[in-house]
Amino acid sequence: MSRRIAVLVFPGTNSEEETVRLLRDCGGDAHLVHWSGAALLPSFDAYVLPGGFAYEDRIRAGAIAAHDEMMDHVIAGAELGKLVLGVCNGAQILLEAGLVPGTGPVRHPTAAFTRNGPVAHFVCTHVHVKLSVKPGRSPITAALAPEAVIPAWAANAEGRLAAQENHLAELRNGDHIAFVYAHEKGNVDPTATPNQSALGVAGLVNRSGNVLALMPHPERDAWTFNHPDKRRGDDMLAPSGGAALFRSFVAGVQRS
Amino acid sequence: MSRRAVAIELKIPDNAAYTALVTLRRLGLAVERVERSQIVRYEDAPSPKVLVDRVQGDESLYNPNKHRVTVLDGDVPRTGEVWIVQDDPDMPVAWRLYVAPGTPASTEVLKIACERLLCNPAVERAIFSR
Amino acid sequence: MPEVAGVALRDDELARIRERLGREPSVVEVHAFDAQWSEHCSYKSSRHLLKKLPTTSERVILGPAEDSGILHLGEFNGERYGIVIAHESHNHPSQVVPFEGAATGIGGIVRDVLCMGAHVIAVADPLRFGRIDDLHSHQRYVAQGVVDGISAYGNAIGVPNIAGDVYFDERFDDNCLVNVVAMGIVREAEVIHSYAPQGADGWDIVLVGKATDASGFGGASFSSLTLDSADEDSNKGAVQVPDPFLKSVLMRASYHAFEFLRKQGLSVAFKDLGAGGIMGCSAEIASAGGYGASIDLDAVNVAIEGMRPEVVAVGETQERLLWVVPPEITPELLRIYNDLFTLPDIAYNARAVKIGTVTAEKRYVLRHRGEVVMDVDIAFLTGSIRDELPFHDIPAPAGTAERSLVTGVQLDELIERVLAHPDVCSRAPLYRRYDTVVRGRTVIPRGAAGAGVLAPVWGSPLGVALAVAGNPRYSRIDVRLAAEHAVYEAVRKVVAVGARPIGLTDCLNFGNPRKPEHYSELVAAIDGLARAAKNFETPFVSGNVSLYNESASGRAIPASPVVACVGAIDDIANVVTMPLKAAGSVLYMVGRPQTALGSSVLLDVLGRSDEHLPRIDYEAILAQHTLMYEASQAGLLRSAHAIGNGGLAAAACEMAFAALAEGHAPVGVRIDDSWQWTQGRVGNLEAYFGEAGGFVVEVAAADVEAFESLAAQADYIHEIGVTLDRPVLAIDDDAFDLHHLRDIWYAPLREVYP
Repeated sequence: MSRRIAVLVFPGTNSEEETVRLLRDCGGDAHLVHWSGAALLPSFDAYVLPGGFAYEDRIRAGAIAAHDEMMDHVIAGAELGKLVLGVCNGAQILLEAGLVPGTGPVRHPTAAFTRNGPVAHFVCTHVHVKLSVKPGRSPITAALAPEAVIPAWAANAEGRLAAQENHLAELRNGDHIAFVYAHEKGNVDPTATPNQSALGVAGLVNRSGNVLALMPHPERDAWTFNHPDKRRGDDMLAPSGGAALFRSFVAGVQRS
Repeated sequence: MSRRAVAIELKIPDNAAYTALVTLRRLGLAVERVERSQIVRYEDAPSPKVLVDRVQGDESLYNPNKHRVTVLDGDVPRTGEVWIVQDDPDMPVAWRLYVAPGTPASTEVLKIACERLLCNPAVERAIFSR
Repeated sequence: MPEVAGVALRDDELARIRERLGREPSVVEVHAFDAQWSEHCSYKSSRHLLKKLPTTSERVILGPAEDSGILHLGEFNGERYGIVIAHESHNHPSQVVPFEGAATGIGGIVRDVLCMGAHVIAVADPLRFGRIDDLHSHQRYVAQGVVDGISAYGNAIGVPNIAGDVYFDERFDDNCLVNVVAMGIVREAEVIHSYAPQGADGWDIVLVGKATDASGFGGASFSSLTLDSADEDSNKGAVQVPDPFLKSVLMRASYHAFEFLRKQGLSVAFKDLGAGGIMGCSAEIASAGGYGASIDLDAVNVAIEGMRPEVVAVGETQERLLWVVPPEITPELLRIYNDLFTLPDIAYNARAVKIGTVTAEKRYVLRHRGEVVMDVDIAFLTGSIRDELPFHDIPAPAGTAERSLVTGVQLDELIERVLAHPDVCSRAPLYRRYDTVVRGRTVIPRGAAGAGVLAPVWGSPLGVALAVAGNPRYSRIDVRLAAEHAVYEAVRKVVAVGARPIGLTDCLNFGNPRKPEHYSELVAAIDGLARAAKNFETPFVSGNVSLYNESASGRAIPASPVVACVGAIDDIANVVTMPLKAAGSVLYMVGRPQTALGSSVLLDVLGRSDEHLPRIDYEAILAQHTLMYEASQAGLLRSAHAIGNGGLAAAACEMAFAALAEGHAPVGVRIDDSWQWTQGRVGNLEAYFGEAGGFVVEVAAADVEAFESLAAQADYIHEIGVTLDRPVLAIDDDAFDLHHLRDIWYAPLREVYP
């Protein structure tokens, strides 16, 4: 039986269209679920939280959405082991909801994606992220190659990971750092990180590996026509590049 | 010269405060009204009148169409108010909660509001009035 | 006459109103006419002039009659798709409160596209600011606030910014220009018009969106007055408050409503509220269909109780739209906005609500607390009024440029100064603040070429390109030719990416039309735009006029026609990008270098002047564009870039800088001594830095024969050099390190937009 993926739409979400299309192009049975249809969520097998400005990032990015009725169902689903992927604002919501890294109680965040450094402005720039856990650490990343480098776009004003010292240490010790910023060839150094994110973190995973929060957008460099380096003769409409993560997610959902 | 703070508030409808109110009520807090302001603290402040002129002349802080500015007594939160500090200790955001018209919230209620919503301890700290 | 403060109507206009009404107008009526007859709303000084612009072609689905124009893009899966395009200005508000002014500018232009039944897919921002060197100047605050406002709004609603430009000139010190363009995609069968359709007598008028408040009261007439700092506080009061969060929900809900209406197979009307508020929108939507309207102001959802009726009627609260639908449809429309998309939970008292009725009787009637506060002939209210203003012909400068105007200057110094010039330096620090890839359909993002490109129809290889242009320096020499250059530059940026230019929009930013010298500039510019549009066969389908751009001291902006060009791409596989691709390619200039250097960056750098703008030879240019198109379709162009500010040298550098990006093998440029490839027709510096137009293209060695045979001995292609395998620019006898040049090019705006 085909597993169904819900792509959540909060008021202010804006990246759901490319997210749901990419999931489908990667073989997923994905559907948009809208904030007034939260009651539908328990019937889905996996959840994706796309990018945008849910509730206009009022108070803090993701803070209000974390208390939305839709998140009640995502939290319940995550506790049952359902796979959850959050991208950009979706990642911020997962951190505010305490689901990632999940080292504190629900809805008591121990980390945040907060104001970029050195200057606190929205920046839109092409990046690469590198898998920094073993693929098998999470069903979401299981189909990726070890140390896979994935292209993406960072497009946010609050993408910098920050946490109290003890919690940062726990991120390292608990193998929560799923993705770091890297150069195209996979080498990691501070110049690869566009926003001074602590430890160069681009993505985090929870203890049991079923919830992943990723700040940059792979779904915006996911079809060949998106690639900065596309060449004539390429199949422009084919998924590629950033689609790798979504393919792996869909594979993980089908196996779940 | 002394330590002073000003509160810069919106004169026009404040949607962020409205959303905070709706969410806090949904979380079970008996809050009736929420006000938000930007606090600016001055270590070595001139007289209140000069301070107001300075703030009103700073286009990055103040716009007469949107804002009103109040000079506070001292530089601590007012009754019913909590200040949330992130990176810059001199520019906290102030949330002022009322449990009934004209009745500011107690520190206890403010602490619950911070713990549930207004303050993320990973990156922020809350300052209460004594 | 009632005592009404803050109204811009002239005595003769008030007298006309009194005469037509046969009585004194009410306070509400005075404010209504003040808004409706303002320059901003009525185009009274310009409408008759704009008739000179060509507005039709096979590709035009809808010309400039409504809020946006629509151009045929192509077909896919048996459906015809249209590109919806609109262009506006928000100059005065942005000068006074830059963030809100620019943000609400984006908000407004997006609504113009949305209300045609389209999905909004892109925005562009042509900007002109004053001098920004002084850290504490108002101009600098404006330049930063405007970009912040555009960024905050466009990013939040998830509409990518794919094109734009910026100029800095002291004549914009007191009057910045914030022009905005929005683009949408629509199935042609699903276009929704902004006039009440046949059979709409008795239909419901439904207001949707933000609760009406007192913000933006006086906005329309405000934007038609000159700015005087003594009025600063009241100027700020007229500025509207942006709410992109509410807008994003409104857009989403409207898309859902479009789907519902499509399934019903119904013809309805949809229009956005802008200048003149509820009154302007409802009067126009009714009268354009040949109807009248009756509105109950008490039905309007308001943010504050007790507002005066004229504020409710005419105030310009943002984020509002208006439907005209059959009464049996209204309940579902209200359910979509209010229940399904929970508008009242999104913003205080936001909602959809019926406020009135379309009437067969052609009057415009407003009621408040049971009393009639406005009752006028609707055609008199919305009908075109015209100001006959004096102007004179502005003759073009005589003579031609002499050759070799510029001698005795070292090339190495020049290259660096040209690259660092405010018209040439990298705009990346500015546009990095814009989301250019949201929605996943971006093929060429902002800054990666002179035009942005999207693949707007999922699953289809169709593409659309968008570029803007309008160099404000040119109009000082020759207004008419400067306007032609604006069209030419926008068109060639679109051609450079392999697209076919199919249509134009314009915004005419000028001074005080009641001063003959400024009005004459407007007349001349429209002549120039018309001439160019006819020659390029690219009609104008949408546009805007912004007049009175002068301060109270009488200092006016340079005549500033700003143009946007839309291009159609049949298959995005044939798109041509800007970065140089490989060493060992041959570089060509497609175009003809000229001796005229008037208003060029080169002369500005040298502190010299020339009173001659480059000529535009349409026949030769059209042949060049045909060559570019055929070559791109045949896959012969490895990369290409339109030549503009800073000339060929700057264009080649930009292509090389783009290739310095990560992960690429380094590619450099050698440009041969221009005496070789111009046969001495122009001097070196005119060849390297002249701004006569054209392109730099990169052709693989293996494709040279095919490319040159396409060009068939034409005298407008010149083999100018080759690409190298190391990151240098070799030009004449000099060699420059490309990383060093890129740093110089990148630095200036980074200082303003860190």
